[in-house]
This record gives sequence, structure tokens and C-alpha cells, in this order.
Amino acid sequence: MDIEAPDFLARLQQGDNAAFAELVQHQHHRLLATARSMLSHADAEEAVQDAWIAIHRAIGKFEGRSQLRTWLTRIVINQARMMLRKQGREIQFDPSSEEDPLAHRFREGGHWQDGPRHWDLDGPDALLTRDELRQCMAKCLERMPESQRLVLELRDLQGMDFDAICNMLDVSASNVRVLLHRARARLFELVDHFQETGEC
Amino acid sequence: MLKCKEVVEKADALVDGTPLHWRERVALRLHLLMCHHCRRYVRQLGALVTSLHKPAAPPASDEQVDRIMRNLDQAP
Repeated sequence: MDIEAPDFLARLQQGDNAAFAELVQHQHHRLLATARSMLSHADAEEAVQDAWIAIHRAIGKFEGRSQLRTWLTRIVINQARMMLRKQGREIQFDPSSEEDPLAHRFREGGHWQDGPRHWDLDGPDALLTRDELRQCMAKCLERMPESQRLVLELRDLQGMDFDAICNMLDVSASNVRVLLHRARARLFELVDHFQETGEC
Repeated sequence: MLKCKEVVEKADALVDGTPLHWRERVALRLHLLMCHHCRRYVRQLGALVTSLHKPAAPPASDEQVDRIMRNLDQAP
């Protein structure tokens, strides 16, 4: 199903409830995963429920300046940020406070001290076919700062457009690049260690 | 000559296919020709990023959709 099709959007904007139910059916889990990268499971459920109400109210005013998928994601992110603010929390998108997760792998002169191990890459999905590694990665994602997890979720897991992510988060492209790099570097470190030791 | 640390910082752009200035592209390629650690890093980062990509999320169940649609009706 193509949620970006003009006739589907027209149905949504005419208040067609069957079309809205189809939209929920196809987007709910993706939006939940987005909220889950910022909030606990229970809070993410609540934020997405509230987001659907906001989406239903505002769909008539959607002007199509972005993809519908981007617009939905932005509403969920705003809802999740609102929920965090109520809890006295805020996601920090400024990456300057943290060191690069791979910094310790380099000598002072900036060359590898400890080069990457050789990974077993049998086929495109071989990396994540091992349950133990998948579990290690899930733990690593849980420990990751929310800003890095969110950028990774949107870009690498959901395959969203880089510029759309910057606009959605209202964060500069350079900061989004650093956050994405650090999230990937953490996972790289984890896989590298796993390949060597078989442990997280 | 780029340092390995700088190559690692730019490797995301290579993996993502982000356009780079030709000078940067040449400097990266030159470094990768000579450094097997960085070649390995870029290759394995690419495999990692590819493996993360999720297929489309499964559709929500009828119960989930019904609950959300009921909430819309009851919202103040």
C-alpha cells in the first residue's frame, strides 16, 4: 500500500475513516518504534496514541510539503518530546559533550592502534543472523543516548531521507551526522568485540 | 595524507553515498588504497549499516487499529 498516493491522501482529507484505519494499520508499528527510541515502552504507546488523535485532527491541513510519512513521524516526535518535557527531561542533540566511541582505538597521531578485526560476513544478513549478537545489539541500543538512537532508528533502520531527518528534528545537518556516526561507531565497536570474543 | 581517524569520521559519507568534494574523495581513495585497516573499516561499516535496515514494519493488528479508532471518537 502506498500512503503517499494522491488519491489516498484525498480520501484521508475528506474524512474517510476506512482510509484512516488503513493508515493506522500500516504506520502504527513504525511510529511506535520511533517513539520507543525516545521513551519507555508504556510512554511510547501513550505518545503514539496521542499522536494519532493529533494526526486525525490535522490531516485536513496537511499541505503535502513533505512526504506524509515524514509529517506523521514529526508529529510523533513532537508528542514524545512533549511527554519528556512533562517529566522534566529533554533530548540533547548537541553532540559536543561526548567523545567519539572509537577514539581509544587510535594512536595520538590519529592512526589505528588497534585495527578492526576481520568480521565473518557470509551473505548480506549474516551479521545479524546470530541471536546472541542481536541480543547484544539490543542492549547496546538501550544504553545509547536517545538522540543517537533516534537518528539511527530514522536513518538506518527506517531508511528515512537525511534532510528530512534534520528538518524533523530541527537539528543542523552537521550535528545529525555526528550523532549518526557515533551511534554507528558504538555498534561497530560492539560487533568488533563480539567477533573477537563471542561476547557482548 | 589523511589520518585513519579522519577516514573513519568520513566513512559514513562513503557508506551513505553522500557527495563529497573531489579533493576529499581523492584523498579518501588514496588513503584506502594504502591502509588495509581503513579498507576493512569501511567495508564492515557498510555491511553493518545494510544489516540494520528493517523491512517495512508489520501491519498493526485489527485490535490495535480498533482501539486507536475508538480513541479518536472519544477524544475531547
